[in-house]
Amino acid sequence: MKARLTIAVALVIALLPVAYLLSLAVRPADDVLNSSLLPNTWTWQNFVRVFDTIDLTTMLANSWISATGAAVLAVAVATPAAYVTARRTGGDRLLSVLLASYCAPPIVAIIPLFFALRYAGLTNNVGGLVLVNGIASVPVAAWLLDGFVRRIPVEIDEAAAVDGLTPARVFAKVVLPLLWPGVVAALLVVFFLSYNDFLFAVYLAVTKESQTLTVGLSLFQGDRNVQFGQQAAAGLLGIAPVYVLALAAQRYLVGGLTTGAVK
Amino acid sequence: MNTSVFPRRRALQLLGLAGGAAALAPVLAACGSSGGTDALPSTAPLSGKFDGVTLKLLVNQPHVTSFRDVLAPKWQQATGGRLEVTPAPYDQLTSKQILDVQSGTGEFDIFDYFYFGLGDLVDAGALTDLTQWIDTNAQQIGVSGYLPSIYDPYTLLDGKRYGLPYDGDVHILFFNTELFERYRVEPPRTWDEYDAAAAKITTDAKGAAYGAIVSGQQVPMILGCSYINRLTGYGGNLLDAQGKPALTSDASVAALKHLVAVAPSALPTPLQIGFDQANTAFLSGQGALLDTWTDMALRAEDPTASKIAGRWGALPLPVGGTNTTPRTALDAGFGLGISTATKNRDAAAAFINWATAAPQNQLVSSTAGAGIDPVRGEVLESAGYAKVVTKAIDPIRQGLNGHPLVWPKQAGAPKLLQDLVDQLALAINGSQTVEQSLDNAQKSWESAAT
Amino acid sequence: MTRRVPLWLAAPAIAGLLLFLVYPTVYLVALALTRSSLAHPLRVFTGVENFQKAFAAPAFAPSLGKSTLFAIVVAVVTTLLGLGLAMLLRHRGAGFGVAGALLLLPLVTAPVLVGVAWKLLLAPVGGGLAGIAAALGLGGFNPLGSGVGALIVLGLIHIWQWTPFAALIAFAALGVVRPELVESARVDGASPWRTFTVVTWPAIAPSLLAVATLELVIGYKVFDTIVVITSGGPGFATALSPFVIYQTGLRGSFDMGTAAAQTLVFAAVVGVVATAVTTVRARMVRAEG
Repeated sequence: MKARLTIAVALVIALLPVAYLLSLAVRPADDVLNSSLLPNTWTWQNFVRVFDTIDLTTMLANSWISATGAAVLAVAVATPAAYVTARRTGGDRLLSVLLASYCAPPIVAIIPLFFALRYAGLTNNVGGLVLVNGIASVPVAAWLLDGFVRRIPVEIDEAAAVDGLTPARVFAKVVLPLLWPGVVAALLVVFFLSYNDFLFAVYLAVTKESQTLTVGLSLFQGDRNVQFGQQAAAGLLGIAPVYVLALAAQRYLVGGLTTGAVK
Repeated sequence: MNTSVFPRRRALQLLGLAGGAAALAPVLAACGSSGGTDALPSTAPLSGKFDGVTLKLLVNQPHVTSFRDVLAPKWQQATGGRLEVTPAPYDQLTSKQILDVQSGTGEFDIFDYFYFGLGDLVDAGALTDLTQWIDTNAQQIGVSGYLPSIYDPYTLLDGKRYGLPYDGDVHILFFNTELFERYRVEPPRTWDEYDAAAAKITTDAKGAAYGAIVSGQQVPMILGCSYINRLTGYGGNLLDAQGKPALTSDASVAALKHLVAVAPSALPTPLQIGFDQANTAFLSGQGALLDTWTDMALRAEDPTASKIAGRWGALPLPVGGTNTTPRTALDAGFGLGISTATKNRDAAAAFINWATAAPQNQLVSSTAGAGIDPVRGEVLESAGYAKVVTKAIDPIRQGLNGHPLVWPKQAGAPKLLQDLVDQLALAINGSQTVEQSLDNAQKSWESAAT
Repeated sequence: MTRRVPLWLAAPAIAGLLLFLVYPTVYLVALALTRSSLAHPLRVFTGVENFQKAFAAPAFAPSLGKSTLFAIVVAVVTTLLGLGLAMLLRHRGAGFGVAGALLLLPLVTAPVLVGVAWKLLLAPVGGGLAGIAAALGLGGFNPLGSGVGALIVLGLIHIWQWTPFAALIAFAALGVVRPELVESARVDGASPWRTFTVVTWPAIAPSLLAVATLELVIGYKVFDTIVVITSGGPGFATALSPFVIYQTGLRGSFDMGTAAAQTLVFAAVVGVVATAVTTVRARMVRAEG
């Protein structure tokens, strides 16, 4: 009925650009600006040729490794921090500071970060991207998890404390298991943010071995005759597995919710 | 918790940090290293065997094919050395080169550099001074064979040389012969004729096609080129003979007026069009006139990329005002330089000599898809090159053999160009008059010079 | 009891803050107070000159207002739309479902790619939607050609990309609303709106405000799409602050000193707005008590 129709419209809007990308990816170069959503001629060549134009395999690997690493790092750091910000008196001041650090555009931080990474030997290196993206995303993860922690009734903590557990133990043994859906959500969000990161990757991972997918896509823009079909093909090859991940993980997320917090 | 205390406390913290930072500034400055500025000795080699040596190049994205697919195998054959090519989009190239050296990383040996970033690169200590080496070995390098129109612009700064020319980029005017025939218009020789042709075709085609494609996206490489192509047609220059800004000259005013005048007849809308859209539109026959780089000639004839193969032509850029000699501009243009942070200086020197020598320049210019233009007279006049660019050969030869407009290249030049382009955009979208925009640009250039 | 939560749990986060906030801030302030270029940072102490230069540049001051307006609008719209979508999905059952999973796709797509797709969709001649626009009699449909249009397009693209995030969080938050409370409210004869305000809203408010704040901050940092689609144009219409700073520091002028000054000013603006929202949130949460 009305609800179904609205959702259907929402789905069309959500999927239109990606469907258009697919339509671009299967076209030859001269068919790109044909005023239509659909191609006039079909070809699979773009998916093959793109591997010659850019080093797509390496870039995909780099994107995946750095995004996964960043997600794990960010959530590992942010989860205990969120417990502090949500439960401790005055804890939300820490959260405001974290958020403030997230506010500024990272552009001018490029120079000091470059020096810091060089000092650690991590420039032009996937490890460097993991560190930078991970730490940069801690505020997002902490903010998310803070909300999830607050939804867990304080009585649970208090009951465990009465049972003789130290606050750290309360966190690790009682709260953390209940926090699982939030952790998954945070992992996913940081993964996507890092996977799609552009600015850090462009300046901190310059060499061919360390370039990521977003940098690869921007290389097409730098060409004088942009190969839109190949660019779309590269993009789709990049997001397809990520989407499969989102689909699979989303079920886990919802499952966690339905068996979730105590009433 | 009282949140109003927080901002005040934060302000104090920031002030404290500021004080600390100001005190720390000299220390931090010492941490950043700039590459060494020692010059390449005149005894550095011109060739040699470099088995096991891998040279790392940071190049402009469109040049990848020339380095990776054409030159690398030959270099290996000739010297045993390997090339590792990293591309960067044109708008990040100079900043990445500066950052590589300035941060102390020093990943790359060779920079494929934009000539108008030369000032900034030298200021950053990123390029090795090659003057002695070139002067001593001028004959073996074949300095006299480089095109005079580009040799000094690409390599000379404050009396010193920092590279050898690699790619001689100029703009010419491409037109769609079919559209011109259909709407009975003559290919234009002056900018006035260009405007008229554009208007007529757009009116008569009623939306099926547009008379002109004007790229006006607000970056120097795009809107800057469109303006400069008109400026050079009028015989104008960005700097006068004394090196002072000449943005309010008659030629300059005329150039901007032409841009404003043609906008309504151009592919909608100039200010949002970059060369990806512009090129694709021309190749699919939607626009009749396009001023762009010479490699359009190859694309236009390539049936897998173009719908107009066999139905296009090329002309020199139109002239205007009192100037009747066609003149182009060095819109982009690249040289090969040696990073000051390189650890393979000898191999790098041998490479840039080899890569810009006649046989190699001939090879890359004549390979379709490599996108390189001649830097040597003999290559420009060769039949091999003519075969590749087909109908565009005459305007290209005329342009590179003439006195093309050279963009400013001193330190800070990119900023000047961006300021200019910002003002041009305001004139085109009607927020300011032409005179006001050029006045503002002139003032900002003058104050930057002080 | 729970108030004695030890601070060391947050130690790694605080260490991260040191690396990512304190050190770059110190460096930033140093850059802002000196004449610094990309090549030669921290050359000469120049006091507030960079701040003056920052405001003298035509694009910067207006960009602060534009960025703020943009961020607030997209935060509000994404949160409300996300809530609406979440409620629609909840209506169909407890599972996010296939529909929900598909709705996540925009979030996952790289902005560079999104930018290219939309740029080509909206290209006035030959674009994907050009044929449809002409058929609908909207020949000359070119939103990217005007300043306002381009800004709206960027806003819509951002909303398109980030609403799924809000929907995800809202969906999770709605899961905590106790169905028996909703039921009893309905039995008591309360209208759907009243049920919402009395039962649903208090339960989901903290999460929703959390999401809105985050969407606000993310809206302030819009950058990739500007670079790919409009380059700040036409004119300066879509030159939002992060883009202006990028131009100053890394593209046009390599003037790191002024870029740093601009960043500090921008961060201050965002901090003020974000703190205001956080305060509101804290008050609301306390009121729910």
